[in-house]
Amino acid sequence: MNYKTVVGIEIHLELKTNTKMFSGAPYTFKAEANTLVNEVDLGMPGTLPCVNHEAVRKAIQACLALNLNIDPLIRFDRKNYYYSDLPKGYQITQQFHPIGRDGYLDIEAEGEKKRIRIERIHMEEDTAKQFHLFDETLIDYNRAGVPLIEIVSKPDISSGLEASLYVEKLKQTLNYLDVSDTKMEEGSMRCDVNVSINEEGSDVFGTKVEIKNLNSIANIRHAIDYEVNRQKEALAKGEAIHQETRRFDEKSMTTVLMRKKEGNVDYKYFPEPNIFPIRIKASEIEDIKEHMPELPDAKMARYMRDFGLNEYDANQLIQNKDLSIYFDKLVKLVKNTRLAATMLISELSGLLAKRSEDITTTKVTAKNLATLIQMIDDKEISSKQGKEVLEAMMDGNDPKQIVKERGMKQVSDEGAILKIVEEVLEENPSSIADFKNGKDRALGYLVGQVMKKSKGQANPQLASKLVKEKLMAN
Amino acid sequence: MDKNDIKEYANHLMFDLNDEELSAIEKDFAVLEAQLGLLDLIDTTNTEEMIYPFEDDTFFLREDNADHIISKEDALRNAPKEREGHFVVPKVVK
Amino acid sequence: MTIREMKKQDPKILLNDAYNKVVEYQKKLNASITIIEPEANASDGLLSNIPVAVKDNFSTEGIKTTAASNILDNYVPIFDATVVKKLKEAGTVIVSKASMDELAMGGSNLTANIGPCHNPYDLKRISGGSSGGSAVLVASGAVPLAIGSDTGDSVRKPAAFCGVVGVKPTYGRISRYGVIPYASSLDHVGYFTTNIEDAALALSVLAGRDDLDMTSSYAEVKNYHEDLNGDIKGKKILVFDNVVNAIEDQTIIAQFNQLVAGLAAKGALVKHVSFDNDLMRAIFGTYFIIANAEATANHSNLDGIRFGHRVDGNTMEEVMINTRTRGFSSFIKKRFVVGSYSLFEENQERLLRKAHKVRRLIVEAVMAELKDADALIAPASGIIAPKIASEEKIDELTDAYLIAENHMIIGNFGGLPSMTQPMGFKDGMPLGVNITCNPFREQTMFDIGLAIEDLTGLKGLVKEDF
Ligand SMILES: [Mg+2]
Ligand SMILES: [Zn+2]
Repeated sequence: MNYKTVVGIEIHLELKTNTKMFSGAPYTFKAEANTLVNEVDLGMPGTLPCVNHEAVRKAIQACLALNLNIDPLIRFDRKNYYYSDLPKGYQITQQFHPIGRDGYLDIEAEGEKKRIRIERIHMEEDTAKQFHLFDETLIDYNRAGVPLIEIVSKPDISSGLEASLYVEKLKQTLNYLDVSDTKMEEGSMRCDVNVSINEEGSDVFGTKVEIKNLNSIANIRHAIDYEVNRQKEALAKGEAIHQETRRFDEKSMTTVLMRKKEGNVDYKYFPEPNIFPIRIKASEIEDIKEHMPELPDAKMARYMRDFGLNEYDANQLIQNKDLSIYFDKLVKLVKNTRLAATMLISELSGLLAKRSEDITTTKVTAKNLATLIQMIDDKEISSKQGKEVLEAMMDGNDPKQIVKERGMKQVSDEGAILKIVEEVLEENPSSIADFKNGKDRALGYLVGQVMKKSKGQANPQLASKLVKEKLMAN
Repeated sequence: MDKNDIKEYANHLMFDLNDEELSAIEKDFAVLEAQLGLLDLIDTTNTEEMIYPFEDDTFFLREDNADHIISKEDALRNAPKEREGHFVVPKVVK
Repeated sequence: MTIREMKKQDPKILLNDAYNKVVEYQKKLNASITIIEPEANASDGLLSNIPVAVKDNFSTEGIKTTAASNILDNYVPIFDATVVKKLKEAGTVIVSKASMDELAMGGSNLTANIGPCHNPYDLKRISGGSSGGSAVLVASGAVPLAIGSDTGDSVRKPAAFCGVVGVKPTYGRISRYGVIPYASSLDHVGYFTTNIEDAALALSVLAGRDDLDMTSSYAEVKNYHEDLNGDIKGKKILVFDNVVNAIEDQTIIAQFNQLVAGLAAKGALVKHVSFDNDLMRAIFGTYFIIANAEATANHSNLDGIRFGHRVDGNTMEEVMINTRTRGFSSFIKKRFVVGSYSLFEENQERLLRKAHKVRRLIVEAVMAELKDADALIAPASGIIAPKIASEEKIDELTDAYLIAENHMIIGNFGGLPSMTQPMGFKDGMPLGVNITCNPFREQTMFDIGLAIEDLTGLKGLVKEDF
């Protein structure tokens, strides 16, 4: 029997704001327990919620980036359940009127474009963090009340690969917007997936299995692939698929049962009486639209169009938002934009990785790198020398200074190089003979000798050209 | 609504009811149902719900300034049980 | 004595006198949950060194705040409610955290965890509730101003039973921040005084926008006490006939009619209005559903984990269950069960959403009349304060209960300013009259109140010999 995989994804994203969703307490990821709270976050009696403007703005940005229709009348509801990480005994969320509906995100899977529809985005608040010890649980309320958006996709995803591409693209997009840190490992982006398989051609939906708290993009793919197989095998054996919640076990690379679902939990949603509906003015939404940062797709197109980059290089740059921000700065200072991209992607990135640094902290300023690129482009130094200079620049040194100190001028004066070529040929008669006997290797050897004799300063293309001319003329 | 329903509702709300309480609630519910039944006499076709006393749009949103924080000591001042700056409960069985 | 007159006294004597009364009366009235020794307040605000009582559901920093519930009997807030802050800034000194129905969910003050509060006019009778302690402390002359909260009629009903002025201003007029809630969409901060001038003065102090309460209003706060004007010539006053017709006690009707005649004699334009009785009979059920639905959720934070009286258990769930089982009285648990019942998805259409729709119809019906008038007037209650150990149980399906005893809830449904003040006596027990006005027309309400005070002569009424 043939089956079709049906996957829907729910993503919880912590918004990058100074304060909580409904209180003026600050939030940072790492802080001493219970030091980033106030009475509102602790659900103390008589406290009231007060909506964070910036959180609303960020939610609107996310909606715009993902092509959702925005509901300009902001309304909240209560989701009621009792749990020790939920201070008020209810979560303020947007059950009935999410801020955004009916959007999409385009991905490219195996060379083909695919549109994943997004059902809704709603705002809500995060819960506290719990630490389970042997017989006690410790609670830190710092995270309680942190603004979240929940992004719910339609079940348009049909493989583990597509799921991982969707999440990757979403992560990249929202990271570009500066809406969220999108760090899955720190929990600022959390992912649950619903997986079912349907018989090909049938419109009967299979039983949905939820896999919770996937903590990396690779695991999303692995978990779905495993789960699809598990379900197929179960059906092949005539077993039923149960509606249940599973988790992904990284060690065994399998999904493991967490709990069976006994009917649907009734969260007794009702409108939050402490927050009147809030009207977002059309002018504010327009303003947010106008000031949207450039998104990855647009940026990639611009790099290819305006700077002549190939798809691979352009993609390399946009993969890392900080790298692309650096490139945007660099590209304004150089003439040879392709060389700039290469220097950044192949050379600087490599050196940074080797030194466990990254582009946001590097001492190589865009201005210095531009100077270096210009020197290479102007053939003042060879690209080989360029690499050496860049390495020396990693501690913040000025490229001109390095070149000067190391006496690294590239010699492009034909007469000077010709003189060296003649000397080399005189010293290596056997290589000339080899060349004439058809041994191409001899040419490379001779050019190398020229470079060596010039202490690497000879323009290699010129040296090669002159050696060849001399040999042919002989 | 019988005693079993009432008990179940109570458990949803994280408390127990003793037999006396169950009987009392069951009895009161008869009067209450009659009072609630009076709502059925009102025709609410095409009537929107009224959730708030006033329904003019509001515009206020709090600016994102970290201007209200309390000390860890204040946070934990009323904690029934505390350890190393955390609130403590018996192990949560997930 | 008005607050204006009191301020001429030596503050030390004034505060000590209030404190001593609160302490001395406690044995007989049981009106306070916590009594606080006064310390002079350096502020020279509008209420400088005026002793006040605050209902025990208002958060007071460093002072136990229990809402008369065992679940909070050890809770000491780390912050002041906005109202408490304003009271302190205006110079008042809090001498009592006043008794109330448990979590403000009652109308008798019999459900306080410290036991009933007694009416100074007859200690065998109830004070009314839920703000009973506050009403009694003003009625007994212990303090000239006491703060309460009003979700159905929790300020205005005890004011009627205890012979004092009870004010519930417009929704959002006074910040709710720091007030332990009952039902957020119906909760109002209110207060008690012995006269209209003080009532106007108190609103000048307490009203105003508070960014901590998103539902608080930006409407301009007036100098209500300075602008007070008892000339009601040309004021359009609506007599609430459904209420009058539902009341069985003819003494009360007669006194009310006499008062209305007096208002007409002063030049008010009196008109009788009557609304659909089916709608009026649905007030209570509508209220009960909405209030308890919001209340169950509002009190879900009382779980013994971060504050309050924890009862231990072997698991987190057991802690919650034990804490809540022992922490709430049977009465509260019943209300929560009802609230939860109407919130279940399968019941919401029939109960909560239905109640929200009926709420609209009731408010729209009243507003249709009120928008062309200045006030709606009715007896606050059809009875005097009932006995604490009462055998005669009122039939809760009659108009005498459904309409006469619950009409003031309309003010909570529509957030309308509404006030009760003494109208007369029956069998030595006070009677109250209620006036309800258009949103943010508190000035009109006080002006009419001043005219009523002039007609009844019941200004500064206190009962000190009990
Ligand atoms: Mg969800
Ligand atoms: Zn969520």
